[in-house]
Amino acid sequence: MASLALRGVRKEYGKLVALAGLDLEVGDGEFFVLLGPSGAGKTTTLKCVAGLEAPTRGRVEIGGRDVTDAEPNTRHVAMAFENYALYPQQTVYDNIAFPLRSPRYRVAPETAQVRIERVTETLGIGHLLRRMPRELSGGQRQRVALARVLVRPADVLLLDEPLSHLDAKLRAAMRAELKSLGDLQSTTSLYVTHDYQEALALGDRIAVLRAGELVQVGTREEIWHRPADAFVARSFGQPGINMVPGEVVDTPVGRGFRSRDGAIALPLGAVPVPPGTAVEAGLRPRDLVLGERPGMLAVTGRVYVVEPLGRQLEVTIDVGAQRIALVTPRERVEPDSLVTLSVPPARLILFDGTTGVRIPVGGGAPEAVVAADAVTEVAGRV
Amino acid sequence: MAVQQESQPIAAERTSTPGIAVRPEAAVAAERSGSRWGEMALNGLTILYFLFALFPLVWMLLLSLKPQEQLFTTYFRFSPTLAAYREVLGTGGGGSDFLRFFLNSLIVAVGAVLISLLVGVPAAYAFARWKFLGGESLLFTLLSFRFAPELMVIIPLLVIYRRIGLFDTHLGLIWVYQLITLPLIVWILRSYFQDLTPELEQSALLDGYNRVQAFVKVAVPLIRPGLAAAGLLAFIFAWNSFVFPFALTGSNAQTVTVGSLSFLGGATPRYNLTAAAALIALVPPLLLALSIQRFLVRGLTFGAVKG
Repeated sequence: MASLALRGVRKEYGKLVALAGLDLEVGDGEFFVLLGPSGAGKTTTLKCVAGLEAPTRGRVEIGGRDVTDAEPNTRHVAMAFENYALYPQQTVYDNIAFPLRSPRYRVAPETAQVRIERVTETLGIGHLLRRMPRELSGGQRQRVALARVLVRPADVLLLDEPLSHLDAKLRAAMRAELKSLGDLQSTTSLYVTHDYQEALALGDRIAVLRAGELVQVGTREEIWHRPADAFVARSFGQPGINMVPGEVVDTPVGRGFRSRDGAIALPLGAVPVPPGTAVEAGLRPRDLVLGERPGMLAVTGRVYVVEPLGRQLEVTIDVGAQRIALVTPRERVEPDSLVTLSVPPARLILFDGTTGVRIPVGGGAPEAVVAADAVTEVAGRV
Repeated sequence: MAVQQESQPIAAERTSTPGIAVRPEAAVAAERSGSRWGEMALNGLTILYFLFALFPLVWMLLLSLKPQEQLFTTYFRFSPTLAAYREVLGTGGGGSDFLRFFLNSLIVAVGAVLISLLVGVPAAYAFARWKFLGGESLLFTLLSFRFAPELMVIIPLLVIYRRIGLFDTHLGLIWVYQLITLPLIVWILRSYFQDLTPELEQSALLDGYNRVQAFVKVAVPLIRPGLAAAGLLAFIFAWNSFVFPFALTGSNAQTVTVGSLSFLGGATPRYNLTAAAALIALVPPLLLALSIQRFLVRGLTFGAVKG
């Protein structure tokens, strides 16, 4: 068990910059999630930590020790690869036992057997030990790869999109399972994914990567409610956050937001930008409510599309030139009908129109409410 | 001959492995069109080619069974005799150099292949996995040994060998055979290593093995089919080599290929003896091919990574 730190880690492949100077600290026992689109440098980060790629510049520290030039097998790091990398010529049992037979992590065969049985029991693959990897389904292979990582002692666990190629149902089940695995939760872990739900569900902290650069590091609440910029805001939530382009205006009751076509106007309170600044207003679909509510701002629009999402409905509404999505409990909503939707002003997230950076808005939601929301978002999708 | 030995085991494996069996496309196509005539024509052509390719071998077999005085008859009626074999093997008393040549061939061919494997497998791995300065040109140089005619270097080689005392020695032949066996092994195995996903060895590195152990325990077992194929081909080429032993050996290290020729050297060419010798010389490559058939399994890496 150990902390993990990347200090100015830069990786270039020829002219291509995969990582542009990454600074990251993962606490002892923390479950840290790296989120980003493909090509953002997530896997490269893992490989730099594992020692499979040498950083062009910068240092990697595990437990305070500089391991930048250490061989992979001396780093006490376990990794589950995106493509599983099971040894095809060995049975499931031998695959999982492979690290326990290595010169570095060797244990007595009896001890190995006890450990393997325990870990495979937990993962529900105890009946597959005599099979060959080619005889397993994708989900089973993924569990074997995970078992091989969990069976051995490690200071740091590296998990590269372990759930990405499973079907949606299995993925949700495995996500819950991962969360319940004590070993995984108590060991310093770096978890790579492009699925925001996995990030929200599993991560103690989340780092959002884009084009080899860190955009934001924070808890799920910070990332969800105070995204660093529009990119982070768009990376989380399904349906995605509504972005309404407009500008900051002066109103009799203080600063306000007005959409480009004037169809949406919201009060902002204190805003550190002058009137006339081009901005984008971010509205999460789950924060919007159909019908008029006290204390909220009513906006009128015409229903464009209604899609059922299990017990809920995703409704897309044309408001002026804007298309706004919202999620609402099942009720009768007719396409093409005129409806009123309410916007809670505190939930508005404001971004600079050109740079996309978030602009703090006066007021803001209390932390407790905020935390509950992020959890609901995940639960609602499962 | 080599080509047939190569393809036959693979074809046998295809049909005998349920689940991953690959059917010849032509057969599938013929079946789909419902044309039994097409299938029959295909089979007919295959049989025809089979006879065509095998005929020299059959002719040689007949020749080896003929007595000396009926050698040049072109009809198939003769009194078969094993006299030629007896004389070649020296079992009729009198002794024979042929067995010694046979043993020489075995020593140099096996020795050359083993050394080439020892050097070539790690070399192929390095060429497949790492880009290093001069790597490509080194690889090409290796290949160029195969397309440069042996006759071009044989005279200088002879002079050098005589001077440093390698003429007519097993070691000398094994050394020069590296020109034949090493490029073959490196080039074949490199492509096998390239087909392996590097994540398998990387996984071994993280599982507590160093690079050498990852190579030996994970990478090498997975290229066993390539190892078998490349080793077999290299052996056949080394075994059949004629120019090198012809020029670089005297009586001590002479091989079967050169030794068989000696039966033609006398006043009357003894074609039946040469045929018998050639057929006996066919046995080791054949046995080797049969014994390593089971390693020529396709698809050993199925299940390694998600498809």
